[in-house]
Amino acid sequence: MTDASPTATPDWLIRPELGLCPCGCIGKRAKADFVEKTIGSASNLMRQSMFSDDVSARDGLLQRVDARVKLVGLLALLVSSALAHSPVVLIGLYSLSLGLASASRLSLRFFVARVWLFIPIFTGIVVLPATFSFITHGHIVVPLGSWFGTRVGLTQQGLTAAGLIVLRVATSISLVVLVTITTSWPRLLAALRALLVPRMFILVIGMAYRYLFHLLGSVSDMFTARKARTVGSDANTKRDRAFVAASAGALFGRAHALSEEVHMAMVSRGYRGNVGTLASARLRATDFAFGAGALLVTLTAIGVDHVVR
Amino acid sequence: MHIPDGYLSPETCGVMGAAMVPAWMTAGRHVRKVVTSRYVPLLALGAAYSFLVMMFNVPVPDGTTAHAVGAVLIAILLGPWAAVVAVSCALGIQALFFGDGGVLAFGANCFNMAFVMPMVGYAVYKIGTRNLSLTAPRRAVVAGVAGYVGLNAAALCAATEIGLQPSLFHTANGTPLYSPFHLSQSIPAMALAHLTVAGTVELVLTAGVIAYLQRANLPVLRINHPGVREDDSTAMAPRRLGWRWGAASLGLAALLTPVGLLASGSAFGEDSPEHLNLHKYHLQTVPNGLAHYAGFWHHALFNGYDFSNDRHPALGYIASAFVGMAAITVVVFAVLALVGVVRRRHSSSDSAVDSVRA
Amino acid sequence: MSFVESPPATELLTLDDVHYRYLDRFVALDGVSLSVDRGEKLALLGANGCGKSTLLKILDGLLFPDTGTFHAFGSEVTERSLEDEQLSRGFRSRVGFVFQNSDAQVFSPTVRDEIAFGPLNMGLEPDEVERRIGDTLAMLSIEDLADRAPYQLSGGQKKRVAIASVLVMNPEVLIFDEPTASLDPRTQEWLVELIVDLNRVGKTIVLATHDLATLDALADRCVVFSEEHTLVAEGTPEELLGDTALLRSVNLVHEHTHAHHSVFHRHEHGADHHA
Repeated sequence: MTDASPTATPDWLIRPELGLCPCGCIGKRAKADFVEKTIGSASNLMRQSMFSDDVSARDGLLQRVDARVKLVGLLALLVSSALAHSPVVLIGLYSLSLGLASASRLSLRFFVARVWLFIPIFTGIVVLPATFSFITHGHIVVPLGSWFGTRVGLTQQGLTAAGLIVLRVATSISLVVLVTITTSWPRLLAALRALLVPRMFILVIGMAYRYLFHLLGSVSDMFTARKARTVGSDANTKRDRAFVAASAGALFGRAHALSEEVHMAMVSRGYRGNVGTLASARLRATDFAFGAGALLVTLTAIGVDHVVR
Repeated sequence: MHIPDGYLSPETCGVMGAAMVPAWMTAGRHVRKVVTSRYVPLLALGAAYSFLVMMFNVPVPDGTTAHAVGAVLIAILLGPWAAVVAVSCALGIQALFFGDGGVLAFGANCFNMAFVMPMVGYAVYKIGTRNLSLTAPRRAVVAGVAGYVGLNAAALCAATEIGLQPSLFHTANGTPLYSPFHLSQSIPAMALAHLTVAGTVELVLTAGVIAYLQRANLPVLRINHPGVREDDSTAMAPRRLGWRWGAASLGLAALLTPVGLLASGSAFGEDSPEHLNLHKYHLQTVPNGLAHYAGFWHHALFNGYDFSNDRHPALGYIASAFVGMAAITVVVFAVLALVGVVRRRHSSSDSAVDSVRA
Repeated sequence: MSFVESPPATELLTLDDVHYRYLDRFVALDGVSLSVDRGEKLALLGANGCGKSTLLKILDGLLFPDTGTFHAFGSEVTERSLEDEQLSRGFRSRVGFVFQNSDAQVFSPTVRDEIAFGPLNMGLEPDEVERRIGDTLAMLSIEDLADRAPYQLSGGQKKRVAIASVLVMNPEVLIFDEPTASLDPRTQEWLVELIVDLNRVGKTIVLATHDLATLDALADRCVVFSEEHTLVAEGTPEELLGDTALLRSVNLVHEHTHAHHSVFHRHEHGADHHA
């Protein structure tokens, strides 16, 4: 092996970069592409909301209940909200979720924002047309003029239907978020296993969850690195699209390489396809109380609903 | 096309869930055949990828949301049952953490996106890539098309589930209890969003990843394509579209016949005399000839394409379509057989007869 | 064919004329023969990309040679032979591998689950598993991390968890792939001491490294890889570290010229500039 002679340093690396502002300041801040900003911050947000376990570590009501009991109770309450025909019952169930949230040391503002900020608003947009008379026929309560001879407006049936859906969606999401946010991820997985979800699915869910953590981190890293290299007003969307496409491919490649290593690490310690878990805890009084409470609420809700109908 | 809790009645949720249980059980067993424990990480990666892809969605008025899924890509790489597992897992994580897709409606969502989509897409892919080499550019294109078709099949199912609710579940005064959108609203709404935007995204993503793998990582592609030749360096026999291709297209066309029901009014020129709008055509009475011959085929088997007194027009259409195709097929084969017999009589003096397998 | 009783031979692992290519194209090992003796500390030296990692993975039955054979504890190890459950269990519990990238190695939801993974796969009783977990946590001073999620820990903490998850299975042979790479100085020192201690209680150590500074402590015997993916030398650390011509020829050190005032000065530098 011969000694390599040192290569000459290129001129442009020795001189100051002419593209920068001559006065020596950092320069005007380039307007970050909307797509970059959204993807970068969204992935950070997702990472935080999915992978933080500070709520499940607090000492609140739901945190003390066994994960399996919580899941079963959740299902029961969801069924009762699905069977409810009257808005009154749904509002009652929603209020219950608020009560449980505050009993579990959850800031109500955070809880409401977390539930309402995404899906129910989407749902509202989606069902808005249903309030109009040409979708849901019926008794018009908010007239909006006439269209080629037929009267048009918001119908009572339409408004009720839209209201019912939004309430159902919000209640359902509130209950689901309550359970998942107060349960640590490993306990949640173990509970799913105890509820007879097949091993293969548990394995895949667990690994996918971990991949998401890494992928989301890589996504925001990539966009941060790209921003650091961006100089000037970079409004070239075609290049941006090419960047996103190339990043997707590179991301896949990296994630795949990691997955091979992970698998080797598992095989090295004797993995042959079965997922063993540490012995699960016994049920305690709190769990029975919660389970009984959930059952009671479910039956009450169904009963009240029948009466009020 | 995630359906939240509240759109589907518990009965519908129960039915769809019951339909998925055997699918999940079969998937759990079958997956082990292709996905040896060596490829489980790849399967989990597929689930994570599907999760991310599904996060980018837009609301569809009169429907739910439109987004790509990635199910067909996973089916191509690891087999359709692996896609069932991967997408179900992704949907499960979304339902639990974001409320994107209901918990009770989980069965329905899985049926649409984790079952119908990969199965339909994979079928299209297999048919379209027969005799193609592993590195052929057309393979990536067919993969994209398969993704497009699969996604829209899933969207159609979702729209159907949503659209059936108001007529089945409503209060006495007509208030819909769950989804307020009828089939005539949900299907066009979901179809439009998925035939245009979401379908295109799915097509580009699927084709893009397959093309990338063909260049950069062929061994991954080979996992689910054992025995497929790598490239076209050896000469190929001329390809002919097989009968399977034709049968599949016809079957698809048959299933789509009820779509016409959505359009109100009937096709131009097909009105029977009773339905004629005389005013429109500036007529006073029904023309003589029309009235005379109108009842000619009175005893047609499926009068008006329906055989149950218009109670289930869609079923009637589909049944009619299949019977019609079967009848046409029988006739065509009979004619071909007859022609073949005649030809053989004439060419019995010739030597070798070229036989090209279909 | 069982690994329950190991013959009192001194050669635990033996590779014979092994060849390996990645993706059927890229050569990683081009005819390597090697044996690992009971109780020794063996170091594989070589520049990046010369095949050290591949060799280690073959020693742990994670990759299988294209040609050539691998014998462990007296029996041949092939992809097929490892499909037998008892054989696999015997092999996997006697050889432990600590990966260079700790992120690949820690994949369980909590540290406790991570350490439990190996013993559970071995089929140990839950009580025994709990006991071993407690002992291992104490030994590596990570009791306070027991219920944390591994992927959120710092590099050094992750390394401890990774090692714990392997040690808990009480293997006879410990394989380390670049153990000191990307560790801060204090953690490096701790790790070197740990490896020496483990060897003193009877564990056989095989490690791949290009860190020449810690070589003397970490190895009794070294083998050197060339960039042509073959073994070109063998000896004690002192012998090899003194042979600068050899080290330069395999790209483990480079010549460095710098100036003291106006006098130009030439000396050897290893990859980490500490030699």
